[in-house]
Amino acid sequence: MPESAYYFIQQLLNGLTVGSTYALIAIGYSLVYGIIGMINFAHGEIYMIGSYVAFIVMAGLAMIGIDSVTLMLLGAFLVSIIITSTYGWSIERIAYRPLRGGNRLIPLISAIGMSIFLQNYVRLAQGSKDIAMPSLITGGWTIGPADGFSATLSYMQVLIFVVTFISMTALTLFISRSRMGRACRACAEDQGMTNLLGINTNGIIALTFVLGAALAAVAGVLLGMYYGVINPYIGFMAGLKAFTAAVLGGIGSIPGAVLGGLILGITEAFTAGYFSTEYKDVVAFSLLVLILLFKPTGLLGKPEVEKV
Amino acid sequence: MIKTFHKTLAGFGAALTLTAGMVQADTIKIALAGPESGPVSQYGTMQFIGAEMAVEQINKNGGVNGKKLEAIRFDDACDPKQAVAVANKIVNEDIRFVVGHLCSSSTQPASDIYEEEGILMITAASTSPDITSRGYEMIFRTIGLDSLQGPTAGRYIAQSIKPKRMAVVHDKQQYGEGIATAVKETVEKAGIDVVLFEGVTAGDKDFSALIAKLKKEDVDFVYYGGYHPELGLILRQSADQKLDAKFMGPEGVGNKDISAIAGKASEGLLVTLPKSFDQDPANKALVDAFQAKEQDATGPFVFPSYSAVQVMADSMKLAKSEDPTEIAATLRSASFSTPTGSLAFDKKGDLKDFNFVVYEWHSDGSKTPLN
Repeated sequence: MPESAYYFIQQLLNGLTVGSTYALIAIGYSLVYGIIGMINFAHGEIYMIGSYVAFIVMAGLAMIGIDSVTLMLLGAFLVSIIITSTYGWSIERIAYRPLRGGNRLIPLISAIGMSIFLQNYVRLAQGSKDIAMPSLITGGWTIGPADGFSATLSYMQVLIFVVTFISMTALTLFISRSRMGRACRACAEDQGMTNLLGINTNGIIALTFVLGAALAAVAGVLLGMYYGVINPYIGFMAGLKAFTAAVLGGIGSIPGAVLGGLILGITEAFTAGYFSTEYKDVVAFSLLVLILLFKPTGLLGKPEVEKV
Repeated sequence: MIKTFHKTLAGFGAALTLTAGMVQADTIKIALAGPESGPVSQYGTMQFIGAEMAVEQINKNGGVNGKKLEAIRFDDACDPKQAVAVANKIVNEDIRFVVGHLCSSSTQPASDIYEEEGILMITAASTSPDITSRGYEMIFRTIGLDSLQGPTAGRYIAQSIKPKRMAVVHDKQQYGEGIATAVKETVEKAGIDVVLFEGVTAGDKDFSALIAKLKKEDVDFVYYGGYHPELGLILRQSADQKLDAKFMGPEGVGNKDISAIAGKASEGLLVTLPKSFDQDPANKALVDAFQAKEQDATGPFVFPSYSAVQVMADSMKLAKSEDPTEIAATLRSASFSTPTGSLAFDKKGDLKDFNFVVYEWHSDGSKTPLN
């Protein structure tokens, strides 16, 4: 294979990895939107908190002398999911539930406020300095000639792909097949009617936020280890990109969120690789505008029927 | 309605200034403006501890013209918008002396306000040439310029490294792009070919696409203009992708955190920094004073900030005045003996003489001088 082919493969892999990271966060956005039709802007902040919890757990385990990679990973995922789920539930209870039923814009503003609050709360509690996360999983494969350009794929990148696809499949199955999932879909159709039929809609919506937060925690642990640096501001940019991915793929659709993330990631990688790094955001967002012009609901989104 | 509102506001403002004026009769307030929060807050800390140490020592030696100095911190988070808000706040609180800001992109808009309001500003960290090139009277700095630092780095690359295929990357900000451009121009004059000149977005986390490109271009030397959070990640991801190139950066990357982020990948990084003033035997007593307070005196901006406060105080004594305009004139005419050497300012407000040194960085956060 010529060198340019390896270069193409490398950029494709880079794009797929970045895309998976966007997708992992975007799934949480889409899940919440799909069920209660609200954009949870604090989602990026939950992701950031997930990273911090993972860091604290890893540092704590290292301090008491446990340095097995499996134990550390397991501990980080478990504790981080539990803690962020608590955050997800509390945020819904404090900032969104009292506002439900009113104008759609009001919870949106409340979400932005929540996001600012969480960012500054972590900044005060943990400091604003960058924290270096240990990379537990190192190494990878190299494909290509020994001299000249060769493509690399790290184990961490593979782990991110795999987790993204497992999360997507599991959630899609949960929503479409399980009893709880049916209740979720019913909630999305008509909350009042669902309530009349004996389903605890408050519980279902709280569950949605908990699930979204748990996903954000998974993303936080993985991406924190992948990039190796966390600070209280990572949630903002990640949230913005994930939101873009969710809109691109059709907000409310879980496979759409993944597709949107991957398209966004690959576009960025190819723009940076073949054109210029300076223009990657310009191209990515121009693409978003173009797709929304021709398909306003996003790639896999269903047209919204106006409820009266 | 709007008119009356404005009147009320103006009246309110006047009342506020009056009370503020009465309260601060026996101290001379100096505002320390820089990032206390945000991704580059550790540089702010260097500036704050340096300036506060100077205030403390000057007060211990009897103050200035019979008055004590008082340092007040203001947090601009290195954000140009917040820097303007901070500048307005300083104006409102009737403070007439500022040491700061830190990031060039913050100093630039804030300095417009200080110049207009007749407030004396000395930055100990902003190295962008644009800050003093606008004919301002009240704006000074106790650090060298990018236009000095860039050529220093460029000459070192041309003479000692002689790379075959060199790339220049920057973070598209005033400081980073300015210095990267200066390096590019210097090495190109020396006949070195820059095969890639690109900007990245500050705050980005994934640079794998750029690194693959550097690898494809077979680059053996990369100059990065910007700050450590991005370069740290670039170094780390370059090691993962097995890019075999040497990196160099300005003093914005010369921070222990780069070793925390990049780990082993930060070994051998080249950095241009102001001379390590804490290594100067003449500053031994001062370094001990920092150590007694458990503060780190090794940062590049600690001593320039100390000097900034000191030249302010010295010229107040020389001019026997607290009028910022008179002090600005004194700063231009006299020369001052400070921990960063004998300082004299030119017409623009820049130092007449300032040297940058090339250091090799180590993965444990230490550094060794190369020239």
